Amino acid sequence: MKPSVEILVENYRSNLYAAAFNVCKNAQDAEDVVQDTFIQYISQKKDFESEQHIRAWLIRVAINKAKNKNNAFFRRNVLPLEEYMETLTFESEESSDLFENVMKLPEKYRIVIHLFYYEDYSVNEIADILKVSPGNVKVRLSRGRRILRDALKEVWEDDE
Amino acid sequence: MTNKEKYKQAFSAIHASNDFSLEVRQMEKMSKKYRFKGVAAAAAVCIMLFGSATAVYAADVGGIQRTLQLWIHGDQTEATIWFDGNGQYDMDYTDEDGTLQQRSGGGVAFAADGSEIPVTEEDLMAQLTAPEVVYEDDGTVWVYWFDQKMDITDKFENGVCYVKLVREEETLYLTVQYQNGYALSSRKYPAPDTFN
Repeated sequence: MKPSVEILVENYRSNLYAAAFNVCKNAQDAEDVVQDTFIQYISQKKDFESEQHIRAWLIRVAINKAKNKNNAFFRRNVLPLEEYMETLTFESEESSDLFENVMKLPEKYRIVIHLFYYEDYSVNEIADILKVSPGNVKVRLSRGRRILRDALKEVWEDDE
Repeated sequence: MTNKEKYKQAFSAIHASNDFSLEVRQMEKMSKKYRFKGVAAAAAVCIMLFGSATAVYAADVGGIQRTLQLWIHGDQTEATIWFDGNGQYDMDYTDEDGTLQQRSGGGVAFAADGSEIPVTEEDLMAQLTAPEVVYEDDGTVWVYWFDQKMDITDKFENGVCYVKLVREEETLYLTVQYQNGYALSSRKYPAPDTFN
């Protein structure tokens, strides 16, 4: 199956943007990543087994492209995260604190936390998307949770 | 509220902007598309190419850099290629999973007196856009050329397969010896005993 890109943009644009932002911590780079991910979808002849397969593929490509942005030698002038956060409207101070603390996590913990808590992926599914072992995902998830728990205290429940 | 609900609420604050246009983005990329000269033009010289899957970059890479659209294993991707002017190239591109891949290679041509001369950028580009035969891990054999991909696994007879490739106004005749190289021509199928 290969649904039209318009449908996928409608369904997954926000998810891809959140995943990309989570990795590159920059709005403009995240925008570029989302568009490039859909361009890659259009330009290749890959056939997908299911909607879930497409979603996982799009997220994997977006994460990899975002990592490439981080590794690029020439990087655009990035707006500091603190300044970007001032432009956002959070529903509560707790949300703002949570967002800020997630962004302070090392990248390898951050993306695993994001896929688990935002995309509702299981450990095995995250391992498949990131091409790492399930054990590795568990370790990253556990360490990321611990850092969040220490920083956020009662706001972040112990859900190990 | 669970951690998942808190997390989703926190990240609901970020949104992609509204100036989202795949059409513009795609046109920008397509405008970089490089017009290649046909493989036939390069067939006049005998080129021996070599390459590897990895590349080591010098900090002072000189030569010419090109960013262009290439077809790799049937997928169109943007590649950045550095030609050093001495018959060598380094290339970066993202594969179907968006992972950055690096490849390098180069070659020499043999002049009429048998001496070796570095191949030109044009020769290298012709090679990079030439049909490619790939043996996959699952045992299948594929031919890739621009957006065309063809499973030739069952087309071998006595270890040899002949494939006619047509694209726009260009026709190529490809002879493949199973796991023993391949040759192509714009006029006729190369005889198996003339290569490898």
